[in-house]
This record gives sequence, structure tokens and C-alpha cells, in this order.
Amino acid sequence: MMGRDRFISKVSFPQAKRVGNPSLNKKRFRTSRNDIQSNLHMNYLEKAKLFCFFLLLGVFIMPFSSHAFHLESLKPVAAPKDNPQTPEKIELGKKLFFDRRLSGDGTMSCVTCHDPETGYTDQLAISLSYPTTKNWRNSPSLINAAYNTSLFWDGRAQSLEKQALFPMMSAFEMNQNLDFLEEELKSVPEYVESFRKIFGGEITREKIAMALASFQRTIVSKNAPVDKFLDGDTNSLTPEQNRGYEIFTGKGKCVQCHSGANFTDSKFYNLGVPENPALLNDPRVTATMRFTAKVSGYKDYRTLTEDPGRYLVTKNKKDWKAFKTPGLREIALTGPYMHNGVFETLDEVIEFFNKGGGEDKNRSPLLEPLNLTHEEKQTLKVFLTEALKGEVTVVKTPEVP
Amino acid sequence: MEDYKGKIRLVVKHYPYKYRDFSHIAAEASLAALDQGKFCEMHEYLLEKSPRLDRNSLIRYSGDVGLDIKKFTGSLDSMKHLKIIERDKKLAVDMDLYNTPTFFINGRKVVGNRPYEVFKKIVEEELK
Repeated sequence: MMGRDRFISKVSFPQAKRVGNPSLNKKRFRTSRNDIQSNLHMNYLEKAKLFCFFLLLGVFIMPFSSHAFHLESLKPVAAPKDNPQTPEKIELGKKLFFDRRLSGDGTMSCVTCHDPETGYTDQLAISLSYPTTKNWRNSPSLINAAYNTSLFWDGRAQSLEKQALFPMMSAFEMNQNLDFLEEELKSVPEYVESFRKIFGGEITREKIAMALASFQRTIVSKNAPVDKFLDGDTNSLTPEQNRGYEIFTGKGKCVQCHSGANFTDSKFYNLGVPENPALLNDPRVTATMRFTAKVSGYKDYRTLTEDPGRYLVTKNKKDWKAFKTPGLREIALTGPYMHNGVFETLDEVIEFFNKGGGEDKNRSPLLEPLNLTHEEKQTLKVFLTEALKGEVTVVKTPEVP
Repeated sequence: MEDYKGKIRLVVKHYPYKYRDFSHIAAEASLAALDQGKFCEMHEYLLEKSPRLDRNSLIRYSGDVGLDIKKFTGSLDSMKHLKIIERDKKLAVDMDLYNTPTFFINGRKVVGNRPYEVFKKIVEEELK
């Protein structure tokens, strides 16, 4: 049995069983229909009872159907048609990734917050920032960002090309003026020649973003034990990892949101994650939060006391404090965890979910206490840290022109 | 430093931020305090008082931490320690360092302000 089919049959999560094995459900329904047809003399009361039964059954099944899930092994990264991968473009993107010219004062490059040596993060709860300012959110790892259909914790960009310019322009990240950057790069003959050869024409911000995106599409973690497992090799996980997998897909309910090849559904949820105390204790972090809310068009930004998350993008109340489900590959490398790094360790994260998430009136209804035992929590951690650990792209510092 | 007395040594290098009005004179102030044996006291005080680090404030702070104000002011105004600061800046550039603070703990690079536990973990590992 291969990948997804085998996965479905192994799952012990009761909701998954209902959704995941349609043939069984169909068979049950078919039998019921035959029963109805053979009982033409059934009285109205019985028919009404049956109608109510199916109505109720439908009500129960519908919510489960909306959270159907799957896991699958990682496939090669797909590049958009208008920005195909070429070795030269990737190399150019790598140089730009390491180039401090991309920041206003020449002190920061992309590497500052996405260091290849530390899981393409900066390993801080709240990310590093432009000198004299403070950031307000955690720096997400770039590992497998190429698979994401939405970027940033609030999902404000849908592709790596659209994502790339945001941090450069951000006052508290790289604080660069893009018109100035274009001119600055045009003053470097090697860049002028590279852009001309690769894209044709002169250097533009769009081409800078395309080159950076091409490089970032090479930053992947692949061939993790879980990939072979999902492709049918049952021996690729150790017994403990296997038990962790059962918890991940069963009692732990992790797979409700951490699904797909990159272990994320790319959706947004309010988990009731506690605010990082720095959000209100450090005036510079508060300033960054309110500035971001202001430029996002949130009129009450002056009195804001919590991170509105996805709401600032959609202005939809249901998205208040909702953040993107992060992918879980190489999770051992990418702490501290959550959008504000409020959990230092995976143990804290697992305990948070075990308790059914945090306190918030808009918390996702998907969260509820899991009642995992100490051993189950440890086993789940083994699955996360070992089975999702693959081969990560090694990047050496290039010679920046 | 108190937790690892006698086991570790702290070496401070200066890297005043080029776009801050008073960061250079603040580096001068901390070295002027070093001459009077109160570098750490002044350093901590300046971090607490930042960004109000203009000349007059620095002179006031020197009194607050118990320095000889006249000596301190003379050192500040003559930029007595300019060579040391320029030497440190060159070292940082030569090492391709641009972020402050940057730490090297037995050669292990740590960029940015980090929780105490991060330093403790590295120090413990390096002391083994």
C-alpha cells in the first residue's frame, strides 16, 4: 500500500476514520438505502425517524469533513513559470541574500535573521531588528519556505517573490529604500552584468525579489525518515518514532493542522498563545506593534495591547490573533516557537497543546485538552525531532561583490 | 560574570553605531570611566540612560557613578581614547561584524541580545 492510502488506514484519530475511509462509509449508506427500498410499506412515523437520523448523521459528519487531512512525502520544489530556476539566478540570489547593501545602514543582510548556521532563523524569541529599533515577532525559518502558499506569520504574501521586498522596506527590519537600493546595486558592475545576463535589462526591485526567491527555493530539508515512511517503507521509523507518529496523527490531533508534505495546512488559527511580555514591557516593541497596525489601516492602533495577527491583513474579525500554521520539518532547529517565540522548547509547546491551547475568547474550537501522558508527550517529541529531521541545504558564504 | 567568578574573562570591544549621534562619545565616556576603575558601573549606567547620552548628560552621569568629574570631562573633550575605539571598529569590520552586540564565547559567535540561559548553556559547554 502506498503513501496516502496506507496513512489513512493507519490513523487512529476517530475523526479521520470517518473521513478517511470513504469506502466503509459508502458501504454503510448503501446498505441503509437498500433497507429503505425494501420497506416500502414503512409508515410515515418510521420514515420521519429515519429522516431525522440521516439529518443528525449529516450534522455530525459535516464538521469532520471540513477538517479532512493528509500527509505525504516531500516532492521537488516547483518554481513559478515566470521565474524558472537557473544556476546563475540561484547564485545571484545567494549573493543578494548575504549582501548588507539590502539594509538601509549596511549592517544587516537576510542572513542576520535567517542564518544558515542556526536553522535559517536567529534563534531569538523576537527576531533581531534594524539598529535602534525592536522587532515584535519571531523570525520564521526559511527551510522549506518554498513549499508555503502563504508567507509571514500573518500570511500577507503568497509567494517568495512577493515576500522578498517586505523585510527590506520594513522600518524595524532592514529599513531600506528600494529606489535607493536599485541605484546602489547598479553601481556594482558585477551585479549589473549578472542581472543583464540572467534577466535582460537593468536592475529592478522585482528582479531582485525573483533572484532571492530562486535562491530560497534551494533551501530545503528532504529525505527525512518520515518521507520514506509515507512512501511505504514501514521500517524507516524506529519503534518510538512510529509510536510518536501514531500520537501525531491520533490522540495528539496534530495532523488536524500540520498536514500535507510540509506538515502545514497553510491556514490561520487563534490558539490563544500568550503574548510575549516584551510586547508591552518594552516601549520599542510596543511602538513596532502599533506602527505595524497603523500602516495596516487599524484605526485603534494607539491603544492596541495585543498582536492582532492575520486580522491586520484581512480585517476579518475571525482572524483576530490568528497566525499561520508553521511547517514542522527540522522543528528541532527552529526554536523558540510560536509567532512571538514565547515557548523556548518543544516540551513547552506540546504541553500548551496538551492543555487545549491558551486563554482567548476567539480561540479555535479545534483545540481541546488532549490528556497525553508524560510518556506520550516524550514519544511525540521524538517523532517531531527525529522523524522530521532530513538533509538540510548547506550554504556557504559567497563572495559578495 | 558573578556566577562564573574566576572561570571566565570578559573582554569588551567598542563598536559605536555610525548613525547614532552620541554612541561614539558614549564609548569615550566608558573608557574615561575605565581610567578611574569604574568601567562596568559607567557602562551599565549608560545603557540605562540611553539614548540621552549627550555631552552634558555624560558629565552628569560621571558624577552619579562617583568619578572625578574634572578628569572625566578632560578625557571626554580631548577624545583621549579615540585610537582605541578606531582600532576596535577596524577589528569588527575586518571580522565582517556589523551587528551589536555580538559575542564570541571561546570562538562561538552569538549575535544580538539573548536571554541569560543562552549564555549560561554555552559557557557551561565551553567550561567542560
